[in-house]
Amino acid sequence: MLDTFEILTTSGVVLWSRTLAPVSPSVVNHFISDVFIEEKSSVAGAKNGASAAENPSYKHDQHTLRWTFEKELGIIFVAVYRSLLHISWIDKLIDNIRTIFVKLYHDELTKPNTTIVQCVSFDKYFDQQLHELEPTGGGKSDVRALQEDTFADDTGDDAPTGQSQNGASPGSSPTVSRPSTPSTSHLLVAKAGPVAKMSRRARKGQNAKSGPASSGDEATRKTKAKPVKRGRKWDADGFADEDDGVQLDYSAAPPSDSDAEPRERPGAVEEVDASTWGSNAKGKFVLKDLGDEVNAILAQENAKKGAATKTEESSGGLVGTGLSAISGLFRNVVGGKTLTKQDLDKAMKGMEEHLLKKNVAREAAVRLCEGVEKELLGVKTGNFESINTRIQKAMEASLTKMLTPTSSLDLLREIDSITSPSVTSLRKPRPYVMSIVGVNGVGKSTNLSKICFFLLQNKYKVLIAAGDTFRSGAVEQLAVHVRNLKELTAREGGQVELYQKGYGKDAAAVAKDAVAYAAQEGFDVVLIDTAGRRHNDQRLMSSLEKFAKFAQPDKILMVGEALVGTDSVAQARNFNAAFGSGRSLDGFIISKCDTVGDMVGTLVSIVHATNVPVLFVGVGQHYSDLRNFSVKWAVEKLLSST
Amino acid sequence: MSTLETLKSLFEASLTPSPTVITIGLLVVLFAPVLLHFLYSAATPYTTLPSVLLLGPSGAGKTALLTLFERGPSSPSPAQTHTSQVTSSVELAVAQETSYTTDLDATGATAKKFLLVDTPGHPKLRAANALSYLSSAEPTIKSPLASDHGAKSKLKALVFVVDAAALADGDALPQTAEYLYEVLLTLQKRFHGRKGSRAPASMPVLIAANKLDLFTALPAALVKSNLEAELGRIRAARSNGLLDSGVGQDDLNANDEVEGWLGGDGSEKFSFAQMMEFDVEVDVIGGNVVGDGPGAEKWWKWIGERV
Repeated sequence: MLDTFEILTTSGVVLWSRTLAPVSPSVVNHFISDVFIEEKSSVAGAKNGASAAENPSYKHDQHTLRWTFEKELGIIFVAVYRSLLHISWIDKLIDNIRTIFVKLYHDELTKPNTTIVQCVSFDKYFDQQLHELEPTGGGKSDVRALQEDTFADDTGDDAPTGQSQNGASPGSSPTVSRPSTPSTSHLLVAKAGPVAKMSRRARKGQNAKSGPASSGDEATRKTKAKPVKRGRKWDADGFADEDDGVQLDYSAAPPSDSDAEPRERPGAVEEVDASTWGSNAKGKFVLKDLGDEVNAILAQENAKKGAATKTEESSGGLVGTGLSAISGLFRNVVGGKTLTKQDLDKAMKGMEEHLLKKNVAREAAVRLCEGVEKELLGVKTGNFESINTRIQKAMEASLTKMLTPTSSLDLLREIDSITSPSVTSLRKPRPYVMSIVGVNGVGKSTNLSKICFFLLQNKYKVLIAAGDTFRSGAVEQLAVHVRNLKELTAREGGQVELYQKGYGKDAAAVAKDAVAYAAQEGFDVVLIDTAGRRHNDQRLMSSLEKFAKFAQPDKILMVGEALVGTDSVAQARNFNAAFGSGRSLDGFIISKCDTVGDMVGTLVSIVHATNVPVLFVGVGQHYSDLRNFSVKWAVEKLLSST
Repeated sequence: MSTLETLKSLFEASLTPSPTVITIGLLVVLFAPVLLHFLYSAATPYTTLPSVLLLGPSGAGKTALLTLFERGPSSPSPAQTHTSQVTSSVELAVAQETSYTTDLDATGATAKKFLLVDTPGHPKLRAANALSYLSSAEPTIKSPLASDHGAKSKLKALVFVVDAAALADGDALPQTAEYLYEVLLTLQKRFHGRKGSRAPASMPVLIAANKLDLFTALPAALVKSNLEAELGRIRAARSNGLLDSGVGQDDLNANDEVEGWLGGDGSEKFSFAQMMEFDVEVDVIGGNVVGDGPGAEKWWKWIGERV
């Protein structure tokens, strides 16, 4: 059954929540960072206000999350339930709750500079929806679970709710104050055990309460109201245990209550005695009252939606279009225009063209543009801001967000922490292992030697392992690099050696031996070169998994060419998936960036495909031509119009 | 045809110099500016509030702290929170020698209002939110909801919230220090990038060591020394010929290298005291948002003194 329902803002504050079974907050945190911040879900629809059914569900750690997002107010509605269960009515529930919540609290939500929204009374709306939508003919165990949970919640929530209700309308206090109980009671009828318990409690409540009552009339009325007002504790089995010490019925305090509704008195006693507990008639009355309100709200919103679409259609007329066209043009210059789909469509097409020209793969370009379009829909442009500048701005933000890595990428720091771990971490020092993979001819060995040069400048002791045991000349090529590097860095104090076993050997075994050798000889870093392989060749790619298992690299970097176009997406995906389920790429090196000018779209394509950050960028033929990846630089190049 | 006729006659009437036309014209001319004035002056607040920025890595407790302060008078517990995605701000009032739980309306003390601005701590969102505020020379913050009317406020102080319990084990410390390094470096650049002789206003930074209610949490002094050591390490790693970050750009002016170095030149170890050179005063105070412990009282006092 439903575990948790939460209503939270994009600023991270939970406005209202109902927990039926405890769920770790990290589930929702993961959901937010994956779906909204990192946009890992393949559907770029995270930012729209579509109904819950259209949003893909998010699964994390045995939980499934269904959600919807109210963009205008920045509110997320999330329902969490066990992945084992299939709840068909959940989308309807979320959508209805969203409509009701937005309707009820719209004014409070738009207040600036506050995070407080008083929505304690939202409990009853939620309960009403839950009971209306939940199929009663469903599995018994489900009903049982829910009833327990609702009760558990009652003890905490209902006392204050009831009180506020009394304050507002003393006339109808005793019945209205318990919105959820009657409905749960009709669920209870199915079960023998709890019913017995309830009736006992009801009777006890009657006895306990008759003492202070002043007249017979009042006594009977109190008995009816009383059973629902007892504080309850819950034992391990989920059975109610009453707590005589705590009195939750504050509604008895105002004496005017006693004369308020004498008409309800007649059937009450019989009903309690007949142990059906909490009259059905009255229960329905309460439910219906609330249900009417809720239905009215829902119907109203539906009507509004219908009307909106109608007016959109019927907004024709020569004068109307002429005027709107003129004011649209005017606003286009001055700003303050609310962006619609038509406005955006053309401009987004242009942006997509622009990205494609920058060598961004179509798939990535389309996704980026869709994301930006959804983000901008309904947004007002600023003063003297045209649509294009607004889109430019949004695209810049969205590119920056995409390319910015989630974790820190300080290679030197990482090496230090592995080779000389802090005393408290209880880890043994060992060499830092890095391996480089990629398609043929992208510059694996070259970039490996560039990284080696950088490490040598920082006075590390580096071992290069020749893992390419296939291509003739590969080992010799590395030997030349090593000789050069030795000469270059001799006076700076770096040390480098080549570990090679010749051709024809198993690359994974060579890598493993190299790591063992490095640990023995006290090297700081092991750089493993691998043979180039085509990403769609299953036979070659499958050996990578074994390689990752044998060598246990701390970092697996993939070299990708800036020259390659649409294929970069497939390359990145296949290599990312090649290391088995527990391992993926740690970063990319984009080589040959100096040859493409500002057409650096490959960067975007591969990050889009894998969510793996770009570590380095190769910008020339020299050993020193390796650069840290700067997001700002990339975004500038991508958006530059020349 | 008749509509055209009436339109024509109306047009003619409006152009003939009759007393009614002149009075209507005069009224419009006189009152239009007045009306516009009321329309716009009502929408924008007269005073700009000073603001305090909440920074820190994700999960440190920024939003929780914000809600704790906001809900202070009514209920002494923060709201339940999740990962933030957008910046949010809250208007708070602080008076001398009062706690955040006292209801200022009730005591009648003279209070100072300020905005407490919460930023998302997720690495992907830092650049767009927190750091962009800092990098401008005169940091101003637009409240996200009143963006149209330019309700700007002056940044008075920074509160960098860290999770003292997470700092104890290896992974969180580098991440936290990295962010702090960025923040301090931005402040330092801001100092260097001043125009003319007028230095930008000093920027006090509070490092709020949160979650001291947990058993594994480090005390404030240890948080400080750990962060200083880690910042020193990052500084060393960055200066150690880590290939220049302005990728492929040949305009490596000498200025950049000076600015990449955080703290005093040539110093062996980094300490927060070195930041005083750049008018950045750093304090480390421990506390906790939830649970038993020293609470958030000291932070509140610190903010109160700076606002």
